[in-house]
Amino acid sequence: MSKISRRDLLQYIGAGGVGAVGGVLYGESVQRNVELLIPQVVPPDDYSPGVASWYNTVCNQCSAGCGISVRIREGKAKKIEGNPVHPVSQGRTCARGQAGLNALYNPDRIRTPLQNAGQRGSGSFEEISWGDALATVGSRLGRLKIENNASRVRLLTGRVRGRLDELFAQFMGLLGSDHYQQYDFTYPSALMAANKTSYGTDVLPYYDIKNATFVLSFGADYLGTWISPVHHSLAYGHLRHGQEGRRGKTVQIEPRMSLTGASADEWIPARPGTEGLLALGIAHALVSDGRYQGSDRDEWSTALAAFSPARVSAETEVSDDKISQLAREFGASAASLAIAGGAAAAGTNAVASVVAVNALNHIAGNLGKPGGVIFNSEQAFSSAAASRPAGHQGVLDLTEAMEAGDVEVLLVHDANPVYALPENVRFQQALQNVPLIVALSSFPDETTEMADLILPTNTYLESWGDDVPDPGVGFPVASISQPVVAPLYDTLSAGDIVLSLARQIGGELPIRMRWGTMEEFIRDRWREEYNKRESAGEAQEFEAFWQASLEAGVWGQPGADSGGNSVPSTSSTIASIANPVSMFAGGESDYPLVLHPYLTATFLDGRGANLPWLQELPDPMTSVVYGSWAELNPATAAEMGIKDGDVLEISSPTGTVRVPALTFPAIRPDVVAMPIGQGHKGYGRYAGDRGANPIHVVANQIDTQSGELAWAATRVKIKRTGEKLQIIKTDGVTRTLGRQILAPKNDHG
Amino acid sequence: MSISVLDALRPAKKPALLTLVLVIGLFVGAWVHGKYLSDRSPVQPIDFSHTIHTTDNEIPCQHCHIYADTTPVAGVPSVSKCIGCHKSLPDVREGPEILKLAAYWENREPIPWIKVHDVPDFVHFTHKRHIKAGLECQECHGSVETMDRVTRVVTIRMSWCVDCHTEKEVENGRDCWTCHK
Repeated sequence: MSKISRRDLLQYIGAGGVGAVGGVLYGESVQRNVELLIPQVVPPDDYSPGVASWYNTVCNQCSAGCGISVRIREGKAKKIEGNPVHPVSQGRTCARGQAGLNALYNPDRIRTPLQNAGQRGSGSFEEISWGDALATVGSRLGRLKIENNASRVRLLTGRVRGRLDELFAQFMGLLGSDHYQQYDFTYPSALMAANKTSYGTDVLPYYDIKNATFVLSFGADYLGTWISPVHHSLAYGHLRHGQEGRRGKTVQIEPRMSLTGASADEWIPARPGTEGLLALGIAHALVSDGRYQGSDRDEWSTALAAFSPARVSAETEVSDDKISQLAREFGASAASLAIAGGAAAAGTNAVASVVAVNALNHIAGNLGKPGGVIFNSEQAFSSAAASRPAGHQGVLDLTEAMEAGDVEVLLVHDANPVYALPENVRFQQALQNVPLIVALSSFPDETTEMADLILPTNTYLESWGDDVPDPGVGFPVASISQPVVAPLYDTLSAGDIVLSLARQIGGELPIRMRWGTMEEFIRDRWREEYNKRESAGEAQEFEAFWQASLEAGVWGQPGADSGGNSVPSTSSTIASIANPVSMFAGGESDYPLVLHPYLTATFLDGRGANLPWLQELPDPMTSVVYGSWAELNPATAAEMGIKDGDVLEISSPTGTVRVPALTFPAIRPDVVAMPIGQGHKGYGRYAGDRGANPIHVVANQIDTQSGELAWAATRVKIKRTGEKLQIIKTDGVTRTLGRQILAPKNDHG
Repeated sequence: MSISVLDALRPAKKPALLTLVLVIGLFVGAWVHGKYLSDRSPVQPIDFSHTIHTTDNEIPCQHCHIYADTTPVAGVPSVSKCIGCHKSLPDVREGPEILKLAAYWENREPIPWIKVHDVPDFVHFTHKRHIKAGLECQECHGSVETMDRVTRVVTIRMSWCVDCHTEKEVENGRDCWTCHK
């Protein structure tokens, strides 16, 4: 080989160098991304990486009080299921319960205290510290207390039970204001009032669907939204095929078929507002057939004389054969049960209607026996909690007081009356008369947006609390709500905020409310209950009891008699039998259709609309996802030339909403139905500007006996706007296209 | 007369040699990278020495990696665990690396250690079973007790896992679902 020239040598070195650099770059390019191993700074006691543990607590997505188990890994909540040992949920949850994780991790959560930084309601807020926020509220409340003006402080909460309710009541009491109100659109106020009349009790009885053989439901969507849907769904399963050789029958009376109606053997669309009358017609038939043998038989005959099936048939548009048939089945069933709820308990005749249904249960002898109405005695952990009404009456009073300028400070916790009240109640306008509005809330919503100061609260998965389910389950039960994860943000639980405010205000408040934290308060109260029950209550024993209750998520005494089988006298039921026909706002000629707003199993009264899992869950009857719609009978739609997706203007005497039409065969031709829950204006990104809110156009009609809002007593007229909107749904067509898969029998054309 | 192809190739000889040198260079570069620059032995935020802790001071592995026998991951010790010992070791308190540790503790910040041994997310690996089966840490991690900076000595690939499962006759050791759930 010849000698390499200097030039060649440099070329070879160059080539080698380029190659080496290329090799390094190649190595770098195939290298995995750097992954980090982040240790805990201080690990929690029970921390095991990669291993999940389940913690029990109480669901707070509605007021049923289901026990839930939350799967926690590395301090993060991963999944929610029912607590298997909890007697209400028995290991099950509903979609709302599952979506609790969406509440915890919701990107719209309020993360720090905020104060209004512009026009009230403009939605512009600036961050402030907890110290400043609590001092501002505390000093204002303290001043009002010293000036003896504490009655100008009002507290409005959502439906709060257990010790948190007790804490709120104590706080307001010590402050010197007796204006502590609750408001929950779903609160069964007519049921409560009617039961008070019929049975003289403040606690809900247990409606034993599980052991019934014939359930006659007047508008109660017990599988979706009525009182305790998870528990009722389990009970329904048992009614259908829980016992060998026995299949219970269910009949649903409602103008628009709900999930419960679809699951029933018979769906009877009685004329809206006459459900109570139908109950009396059935009662009349029962008594005149000699089914009732009580000593007060003659009194019943007299009271029901006016409600012969012939007359009732004309008003309810249910044939008198059908009424007689229902009476026969109801009377002859081994265990029959009549329940009332939904729109049937939301007319101007709401209480009278539920009393009529109660009468039916009495006449058929369903009180105090399995498969009937079982009375719960006083709550297991006696407190005033369960009996605090959360109906409209309180919030209507509050609106009046605000309009009169009688409210200086309004504290709102976990309630959204700006959304969940008819617009002509003028709650939002009345808020303008209040100098200081303080919202305790986890999320921005229409009411929180009006606040001057927002104190962000923990979600229920981050809070201490307890709950006594209402209705009870026939024996004493109470559950502890424990934080299953540490608070994600700079938030406090509502209980801790109240205790901090008590310390800020000073005087006797921090002395009487001596607990440092909500946890301490709950423990203290449970210790008292424990000592009451166990005469030799020593500290050591209580610790064991507390730990066991906390782990199980529930404490109960199965088998302990709750005194539930005593049947109250029903003379007052006879006395309060009245002609229960609802009056509607709007004349029939101007407003030809009845508006049937219905609660949905996903959003309930709208509170679930900010949870994305619930937004994307198709409606069980129509399969529509997202948005709002108005359901019309195909015959009505055809008559008016309305097709699916035509945007309608639905006008009541008090307001107008715009929604696309959807023809739906299982609805009376004189009814237009709209789901409640959408149409939010300030409830975060998932609920934003989607659909319309039917509650806003409901007229401010009042139940004549209880003074509660009758939200199903409004007539409307509809008009096509000419616009079209694609309704998003997962179903194809609802018709069978001549395949004769179903042969529907439709009494209403 | 013989005809040599070499003469015909002569003009291509130099480019060919240059390419050969380039290719050799590539291999050398890749090797150097693998040896000194790769994620097999990353430079950590604190120059922690297993030799000092494990060999010199005879601390057993699971004194610090406390989750190894009970959970899927062995667990890096928490900052509180490190400082727990070090605050009572005045001899080394002023060392530059210990000062770094103290700074993390003061600021309540976790130490961002860089992973050396990583199994892809689609593999359901758990330390617990391997420890329960009586494996020594060193069988997979090498002689960490003599490493000043942790270096990965094995290539974590499926064949490596399966070879060991086969050799040790692990029950269902070759079943897909044992590792891929």
